Amino acid sequence: MSQGTGAPEPLLSVRDLSVRFRMRGGREIAAVTDVSLDVAHGECLALVGESGCGKSVLASALLGLLPGNARVGGSALLSGPGPGEATDLLAADEATLARTVRGRRVGLVPQSPAAHLTPVRTVRSHLAETVRELTGAKGQALATATVAAARRAAFPADHLDRYPHQLSGGLAQRAATALALVGDAPLLLADEPTTGLDRDLVERTVDELRGHADAGRGLLIITHDLAAAERIADRVAVMYAGRVVELTEARGFFGAPGPRHPYARGLLDALPERAFRPIPGMPPELGDLPAGCAFAPRCARADAACSTVPALSGTAACHHPVTAPEPAGCGIRSEGSRT
Amino acid sequence: MTRTPPALELRAVTAGYDRSAPVVRDTSLTVDEGEAVGLLGPSGCGKSTLAKVAALLHRPYGGTVHLGGVQARGWRHRAPRAQRTAVGVVFQQPRLAADPRLTLAALIAEPLRATGRKAEALARTGELAGSVGLGTDLLGRRPHEVSDGQLQRACLARALALRPRVLVCDEMTAMLDASTTAALVTVVEEYRTSTGAALLAVGHDRTLLERWCDRTEEMPCTAAGGPPLRSRAPDPVSVPGFGPEAPSDH
Amino acid sequence: MSIPAALRRRTPRGKPTAGRGLRLPLSSCAVAAVLLAVVLVPLLVPLDEQAVDLTDKLHAPSLAHPFGTDDVGRDVLLRCVYGLRVSLLVGVVAALTATVIGTAVGAAAGAVGGRTDRMVMRVVDVFSSVPHLLLGIFIVAMFRPGVWPVVISVGLTHWLSTARIVRAEVLSLRSRDFVDAAVSGGASRWRVGVRHLLPGVLPQAGLAAVLMVPHAIWHESALSFLGLGLPTHRASLGNMIQDARGTLLAGDWWPTLFPGLFLIVPTLAIASLAGVWRERISPRRRSELML
Repeated sequence: MSQGTGAPEPLLSVRDLSVRFRMRGGREIAAVTDVSLDVAHGECLALVGESGCGKSVLASALLGLLPGNARVGGSALLSGPGPGEATDLLAADEATLARTVRGRRVGLVPQSPAAHLTPVRTVRSHLAETVRELTGAKGQALATATVAAARRAAFPADHLDRYPHQLSGGLAQRAATALALVGDAPLLLADEPTTGLDRDLVERTVDELRGHADAGRGLLIITHDLAAAERIADRVAVMYAGRVVELTEARGFFGAPGPRHPYARGLLDALPERAFRPIPGMPPELGDLPAGCAFAPRCARADAACSTVPALSGTAACHHPVTAPEPAGCGIRSEGSRT
Repeated sequence: MTRTPPALELRAVTAGYDRSAPVVRDTSLTVDEGEAVGLLGPSGCGKSTLAKVAALLHRPYGGTVHLGGVQARGWRHRAPRAQRTAVGVVFQQPRLAADPRLTLAALIAEPLRATGRKAEALARTGELAGSVGLGTDLLGRRPHEVSDGQLQRACLARALALRPRVLVCDEMTAMLDASTTAALVTVVEEYRTSTGAALLAVGHDRTLLERWCDRTEEMPCTAAGGPPLRSRAPDPVSVPGFGPEAPSDH
Repeated sequence: MSIPAALRRRTPRGKPTAGRGLRLPLSSCAVAAVLLAVVLVPLLVPLDEQAVDLTDKLHAPSLAHPFGTDDVGRDVLLRCVYGLRVSLLVGVVAALTATVIGTAVGAAAGAVGGRTDRMVMRVVDVFSSVPHLLLGIFIVAMFRPGVWPVVISVGLTHWLSTARIVRAEVLSLRSRDFVDAAVSGGASRWRVGVRHLLPGVLPQAGLAAVLMVPHAIWHESALSFLGLGLPTHRASLGNMIQDARGTLLAGDWWPTLFPGLFLIVPTLAIASLAGVWRERISPRRRSELML
C-alpha cells in the first residue's frame, strides 16, 4: 500500500472493508469487497467508478449509515481523538458515531445540497443549530461562530439570512460545505458533490473542496465524474464491481503513463475528450458476480488466468495490466488549480 | 432552389411556467434532416423547457413548432398522434422517466402498445433491447431492480421504438458514467446513421456536445427570466482566490 | 469468497424496534378474530332481535352470560357480535362507496385539470366546511331508519377527503417525466389515465379506504346513538350504548363497557393495519439497498 504524501500515520486507514446485503429470498449482494485504502492529512483521494459499483455504500459504511440488512467486515481506522489513538468506524457503536464522529471528526459534503437544507429555515439558522450542537456556544459567541463557519466555506455573510431556494446552486453547495466544516472535522467525505451541476460550477466546487485539503484536511471524494476527479485528486481509486481495481497517483493516471488496469483505461477512453469509445458490455450484477476477475467478460486482455480474482499488486488488480506506455493522446489535463 | 424543410424548427418560442416571467423568450432553433444539434446552457436557463416544447409536451405562450415543415397543431394530447410520435424524447433522470410499476420489457414496448401495435410490440421488444445493449435477462425486472445506466438504456429504447424522425435528448447522460455515456451516444448515432433522423441534444457539457453534434447552439440566458430556480442565475459572488482559514484559527 | 465469516451485523440507527415488531401480528390477530366472530357466531347461534326476557335482566357477567345481560334480559355478548357485524358491514360498504366516489371525483379533477378542476375542488371545499355529522344527520333524516340510509349518509359525507388525496396524487404524477414519455409515445388520454395514473393512486386510495372503515363505524354508532341510525331494536353498537346509558348510572357497567370495547378494539386494529400498509407504500421504505 502506498503511503500518503509523506504522513507517517494516515488519517483514515481502511483495510479489507467488505459490505454484504442480505436480500429477501436469501440473495446476497456483494456491494463492497476487500477494499483497502488510506487517506492522509492534506490529501485528496478520489474514488471513481460507475453508478452501482459500490462506492456510495462504502461512504455509508464509513459513516455507520448502512441499512439494517447490511453486514460489514474489515476495519476503517480513523486516527484520533488523541495522538496515537484511532477509532474503528466499522466497530464503533451508534452512540459513539453520533456523538463523537459524524460532524466532529468526519464531515459529510452531501450529494444534493438543496435537498440537504430545510427549505423553511435560513442558512444562518442551519449553521447556528449545527454550531450550537457541536460546540455548545451560546448567545454572542454563537452568532460570531456562525459567521466564522460561513466564512470558512466562503459563504458570503450577507447571504446568511436567505432561504435555500433563494440560493444559486453554487452557494447552496457552499452552505452545505459550511455545515460539514463546522465541527472542524479532519476528514471530509464528499459523496457525488457535483452531480447535476454545470461544468463551471463543478470546477468551482471541486476547487473549493481542494482548498480544504490544502489546508490540511483529508478529503475522500466519491464521484463518477472523471474530469472532476482529475481536477481535485492526488490519488485515484477505481472501483469496479465492489472492488478497488486500481489505486494510483492521479498525475500518472490521467496523464502519462495512464492507468494500468484495462477497465480504468477503458473508462478514460470513453471520455468525449479522448476516444469517446464505450467499454463493451455492462458491469456485472453485484448479486451475481462472475468467478474470478469481474471485469474479464468485458476485457480484451482476458485469458485463462483471469478465472482467479487478481490481487491488488503494485497499483492495479489485474493479471494482465497495461504496461507499455501507450500514446497518451490528447490528455484531458485542464488548467488545474493544483500547485 | 428548393430545399427539404428542416426536421425540427422552433420559431420565436416563448415558454415557461409563469406567463409574466417566461424562462424561454423568443427563441428560434432549426435542426435539419439528419443533423445533430447540441443546445448548451447553464441549468435553469430553460433548456429543458425548450426541449419539452420541441417534443410537443409543453405548450408555449408564443411561437410555433414545425416538424418536417408542418406546423404542430397542438400540445400533449391535443397534438395529432403522428406528430407527437415523430419526436422521441429521453429525459435526464431515468428513475423519474420510467413508470415504476412496469417491467423493462413493458417499458420499452409501451409506445408500440399505446399505438395499437401489440404484435409488433411482442416481436420487436427483444430487438430494441438488444440495440441499446440490454440483455434479455434484464427485461423482466422493474426499474428499482436495475442501475441508472441500465434504466436509461431502456428509456432510450422506448424513445426509439416508434422510429422517430427527431430525437430530443434532454441531459440524457448527466447522471451517467463515462462508459455508459459513450455507449448511449453510440446507440443514438447508429440509429441516426441508419434512419437519417435528426437530433436535438440538450446539455451543459460542452466537451460532450461538441464531440457528439454537428454544431452547438448557446441557449441565451435571460437574466430577467423569472424567480431563481435552484441553480439558475450565475453565482452572484465570485471568489477569485479564496482559501479557507487555517485550522488553527478556531 | 472468504469474507462472510468476519461480517458483523449493524443496527442502522438504534431506533427502538420492539413495539413495531408486535404491531403487525397483534392487529392482524385482532382483525382475524373479529372477522371469524362475525362470520361464525351468527351461523352457530341465531339471534332473535325482538326477544326479551325480563326475568333475566341486568345479570352481571357470569358463565351463562359472559358479558352479562342488558335491561331487558338480552345477552350482551351475542348482541355485541351481531352489533359489530352490522357496524362492520356499514363501515366497509360506506368506506368503499366513499372511496369510489372520492377516487372518481379526485382522479377526474386532477387528470382534466384547469377550470373543471377548480370548480370541482371549490364544491369539495364547500361541502367540507359543513360538519359532516350534521350533513349525515340531514341525509338519514330523509329516509326511514335502516342500514342503507346510514351507508348512504356515511358514504356521501366521507368521499371529500379521499377526493383531495387522490387529486393531489394525480397532480403530482401527471407532471412526472414518465407521463410525458407516455404522451410522447402516442398514448391516449385514457391510456395514460388507466395505465399510468390510476395504478399510481390506487395504493393511496386503498389506504384511505381502510382508514375510513373505523371512521365509518364510529359514524354509524354516532348516528345510532342519536337515535337516527338503525331501528332501535336492531343490535348495533351505537344502539346498545344508547340503550345502556340509563343503567350505567345505576352501577351496571357491563352493558356499556363491552359494546364500547367492541367499538374500540376492532377500529384500532384496522387503523393499525392501515398504518403498517402506509409504511409499506411510502417511498422511504421502498429500497432496502442504497446503491
